[in-house]
Amino acid sequence: MTILERPRHVGPGVDRVDGPQKVTGAARYPNDFSHPDMAHAALVRATIAAGRVARLDTGAAESAPGVLAVLTHLNAPRLATGPSALLATPPPPLRDDRILYYGQYVAVVVADTPERASAAARRIEVGYEPAEPLLDIHDPRAERLPDPWGSDASWGDTRAALDDAHVVIEASYTTAENTNNPLGLFSTLAEWDGDTLTVHDSTQWPTRVRATLAQMFGVPEAGVRVLVLYVGGGFGAGLRVWPHVILTAMAARQTGRPVKLVMTRPEMFTGIGHRPATVQHIRIGATRDGRLTAIEHESRSTVAIEGDNIEPCATVSTAAYACPNVTAHDEQVRLNIPWTNSMRAPGEAQGNFVLESAIDELSHALGIDPLELRLRNYAEVHPRSGLPWSSKALRECYEVGAERFGWSRRVPEPGSMREGDWLVGYGMAGISYFWYQAPCQARATVRGDGTAYVRSAVTDIGTGTYTIMTQLAAELLGLEQDRVTFGLGDTSMPPGPQAGGSGLTAALGSAVHAACRNLVRAFLDAAAADPASPLAGCDLDDVAVTGGRVHRVGEPERGESYAGILAMRGLDELSADGDSTPRTPQEAGMAPAGPFGARFVEVRVDPELGRLSVARVVSAIDGGRILNEKLARSQIIGGTVGGIGMAMFEDTVSDPGTGRIANATLGDYLVPVNADIPDMDVSFVGGPDAFNPIGVKGVGEIGLVGMAAAIANAVFHATGKRIRSVPITIDRLLL
Amino acid sequence: MREFAYFRAADVGQAVATVAADPEASYLAGGTTQLDLMKDGVLEPDQLVDITRLPLRGVVREGDTLRVGALTTMEELAADPTVAGRLPFVREALLLGASVQLRNMATIGGNLLQRTRCRYFRDPTVPACNKRRPGTGCAAIAGAARMHAILGASEHCIALHASDLAVPLVALDAIVRVRGADGERSIPLTDFYLLPGDTPDRENVLVHGELITAVDVPLPAEGTRSGYLKVRDRASYEFALTSAGVALLLDGGVIVEARVALGGVGTVPWRAREAEDILRGAPPGPAAFRAAAEAALRDPFTVPGTAFKVELAKRTLERALRTVSGVTS
Amino acid sequence: MTTLTVNGVDHRLDLDDARVTLLDALRDRLGLTGTKKGCDQGACGACTVMADGKRILSCLTLAAQCEGREIITIEGLGVDGVLHPMQEAFVRHDAFQCGYCTSGQIMSAVCLLAEGRAGSDADIREFMSGNLCRCGAYPNIVAAIREVAGAGGGHA
Repeated sequence: MTILERPRHVGPGVDRVDGPQKVTGAARYPNDFSHPDMAHAALVRATIAAGRVARLDTGAAESAPGVLAVLTHLNAPRLATGPSALLATPPPPLRDDRILYYGQYVAVVVADTPERASAAARRIEVGYEPAEPLLDIHDPRAERLPDPWGSDASWGDTRAALDDAHVVIEASYTTAENTNNPLGLFSTLAEWDGDTLTVHDSTQWPTRVRATLAQMFGVPEAGVRVLVLYVGGGFGAGLRVWPHVILTAMAARQTGRPVKLVMTRPEMFTGIGHRPATVQHIRIGATRDGRLTAIEHESRSTVAIEGDNIEPCATVSTAAYACPNVTAHDEQVRLNIPWTNSMRAPGEAQGNFVLESAIDELSHALGIDPLELRLRNYAEVHPRSGLPWSSKALRECYEVGAERFGWSRRVPEPGSMREGDWLVGYGMAGISYFWYQAPCQARATVRGDGTAYVRSAVTDIGTGTYTIMTQLAAELLGLEQDRVTFGLGDTSMPPGPQAGGSGLTAALGSAVHAACRNLVRAFLDAAAADPASPLAGCDLDDVAVTGGRVHRVGEPERGESYAGILAMRGLDELSADGDSTPRTPQEAGMAPAGPFGARFVEVRVDPELGRLSVARVVSAIDGGRILNEKLARSQIIGGTVGGIGMAMFEDTVSDPGTGRIANATLGDYLVPVNADIPDMDVSFVGGPDAFNPIGVKGVGEIGLVGMAAAIANAVFHATGKRIRSVPITIDRLLL
Repeated sequence: MREFAYFRAADVGQAVATVAADPEASYLAGGTTQLDLMKDGVLEPDQLVDITRLPLRGVVREGDTLRVGALTTMEELAADPTVAGRLPFVREALLLGASVQLRNMATIGGNLLQRTRCRYFRDPTVPACNKRRPGTGCAAIAGAARMHAILGASEHCIALHASDLAVPLVALDAIVRVRGADGERSIPLTDFYLLPGDTPDRENVLVHGELITAVDVPLPAEGTRSGYLKVRDRASYEFALTSAGVALLLDGGVIVEARVALGGVGTVPWRAREAEDILRGAPPGPAAFRAAAEAALRDPFTVPGTAFKVELAKRTLERALRTVSGVTS
Repeated sequence: MTTLTVNGVDHRLDLDDARVTLLDALRDRLGLTGTKKGCDQGACGACTVMADGKRILSCLTLAAQCEGREIITIEGLGVDGVLHPMQEAFVRHDAFQCGYCTSGQIMSAVCLLAEGRAGSDADIREFMSGNLCRCGAYPNIVAAIREVAGAGGGHA
């Protein structure tokens, strides 16, 4: 069975299969579910960043109308800790009187209506015994965690190379805290029946929610079912099982009623993670003709007390350029802040800003065009391992992007391009995104009516998983797309990994590939029971699938339909499982490649008033095989909007003394609005990747990366002013 | 939100009598500030008197005055032909504020009474806020201040009055018509707002129960040009970092009449009379514009996060003067 | 009892608690969950509905205030299961990803056309800026609206 050589279903821009559900309001998100007997929970958050709860007065809340329960550390049941693996679950909520960050939950109130629950929550009085919080990334008292992920790297002799370099660029950069702010308020609806628990939850990782709830409440995992058919965005926020999820299940167990919790927008700033602030220092050495001789990149990011977070920023410099001497060092600083967590392109977003800004600084110092400088240092093999890439079309990204943008029209001298009162700047950045893939399982079924049902307990957070897996399964089973249904978001399905790390499409697509192949094999086995079958004696390599039939390669008439095989054998349906586990680079003899990309940006700067706008963005992306160009383009556009947010607007600001987030609303924390965003040009280049059987590379995050650097570089080109801190706001740009 | 009683008033007299008789009652019009602050727990009225169906809606021209019913929405006022023709900077200020949805809800009376966006005022868990709890101090001064005032501010309060609309209206000497339990009165908008002084909790001269029924906007002389320039981080849907509302009447190469007010900088909508005095009688040009800007921003009260606004506000005013006058050099 | 007229149907509601917003009444009491809560503070536009033909935010409107007003939600836009042209255009242009802001975007877009403000891309962008899309579908939203506006606008 040969597949994907001449695909019919994958590739073109098919409309989302869930589109009609979403445009009619019929798609049901976790907070759209309800239960007749449902109660509602509201949270009470700490108003200090460090110390202890000294006094709790819950009397007024308990006697308020409609209140069913008030849980605090004084009466909450003790729970086991959750999984500590990758993206650990925070410690059980309400376990003791300690306060580790502003916004930590100190109570949950359950009432018969949401209005009554939140009103009663306000009536709880909490007295604190405050301690001095650690809030500043530079605080020398804060614990430092060197090389927290074992990702530090060093090769060659960077110090000596820097000493010998013709030109050295050295600079410090900062990036602000950002908050994921998916538009969907994270919500949980929990219902217990004895030791079985059903949960609707805003998550990107249902199987992790199930495992965590089972472990923390000490109930069998088989009795916990987590459902998430649709989720209102996540951008990483749904990768952990946050305390509000646990508290909702706890409240439901304590009250004996289904309980629904819908977070408030301010709670979304403290309760579901955020992108950490970073301080980074970089030194780049080069020869006069623009050969990189040394890169030394150091990064410090923040992490909560008792938290963990994967945020390799300096590591970005170990995969981008051919350079004989490289040192990359990351460290974390523990502070009394809400948990830091993955936000679309963790580490890459901030690390790329620094590396690609510094490369731009170098190009200006050398008088070499920024694009030419990048091409001169092109990494033909993986710089760290020396292995060949599983695919790499970054050169084509540069070429196609530059051509479509009109990069050659750039006048090198900063401040030399104008349009009316506005200064015009061109900037660019390159991206070599990391690779990630986790094991995954899927199941495929073909029924007697010739329709297929394929499923896995994963999520579609808006990336298009429902659609692209429908296309892929249609391709692999030889069915029309309207004969295929893809199911997800239910832990009763075979387990799948998180929608994160740009890794789901490769993991799930590979599992669906395996399941579909196994299913065709099962049909062959079923057919072979009849020696007269035209498929008798065939194995997978001998057959093709088209039009709901399995037939001999090149002989469409010599085959049988799925329905016919099932009917002949008296079967209602046949199913098969498939799983995927990525090979190691050593096994494969190649460096698995993430996506690559090049961004070209034109900005306008109003020098008198410090106003900045993005006029054009051209992106060229190597995403391996693109399963659905329309949806992949949307991923790049959406990521670009996020990148514009990071570059120009987004800054989670805390009070210096208290750690209270001072702009925890969508009116105060600025994300881009429609008027900030120009039309965009997106091209996909390259071809199928060699590392997984379907040749894909994830494109969910790369769209955000590179925008901060490309915009900062364009601002420099427009104004001659180098801005090394994002966001680039009016006060920073005012000339 | 605390529980409250909802009461829909049948006429203006009943509305005023009801609120005046209940010290814990508030009016409910567009709701865009009132309900937001109630959800935050900043306002906790025991009764809301819904005035949205009272006959206080509509725009009528009476000679050289435009009478704007207090319940006219921002969108309705922006669509009024007299506003479009004679008061371009009022229309621009309206359309640069909020979003269409909010402008369909928010009323002109409510807009003038909108409360500050200061997140220290809007978060009841912050202990120090003289505006919310008199005598407790001002947490914003040592906090993350940026969207805060630099004029009329003091160590007691740096909360910004964020209305765009009020900027051209103070420039035009609009009159607020008010009805209270003791009858009606008219208050010049320039006297309507109170500088915070050491009582930032007192924001205007209204007494409890008084209801804005209309705003009278004097039309400027024929030939007056005006414009509203709003500077902000986002291209839309954001409050101003700085703004300037300018109306100029030029004759024979000289500015014969000037109205100037600033937004984004004042604890109240900021009328810049010193700037007007400099402009009046001067030939339009960079020298006069810079002098006016310097005068308008004299003696600012800044904290580190707001210091940049001083120069930004000057340039905003200069740009607005250039644009409105058409004199760029 | 209060009567709410939603999508042309009168609903008798016992608004025992004056705090109930229009948004919560639609979602929790009438089961019309297509209208979304993204901030509950009037800052995101996800809860946009039509009241007497104008787009408003249902999160900052009390249900009690809406007696006698004609409320239209996303569920009331299509006719007999046929998508409104704006809904169709949103699908065709992939003008959403997670879909959470979509109901508000579409309600806003339909009103935008009725307001006569879809004449240029710049106007579409400006007058759609009260609807945040965190997935970043803005260019596709503009494309969808541009297409419907160019085709004559569709019915509201």
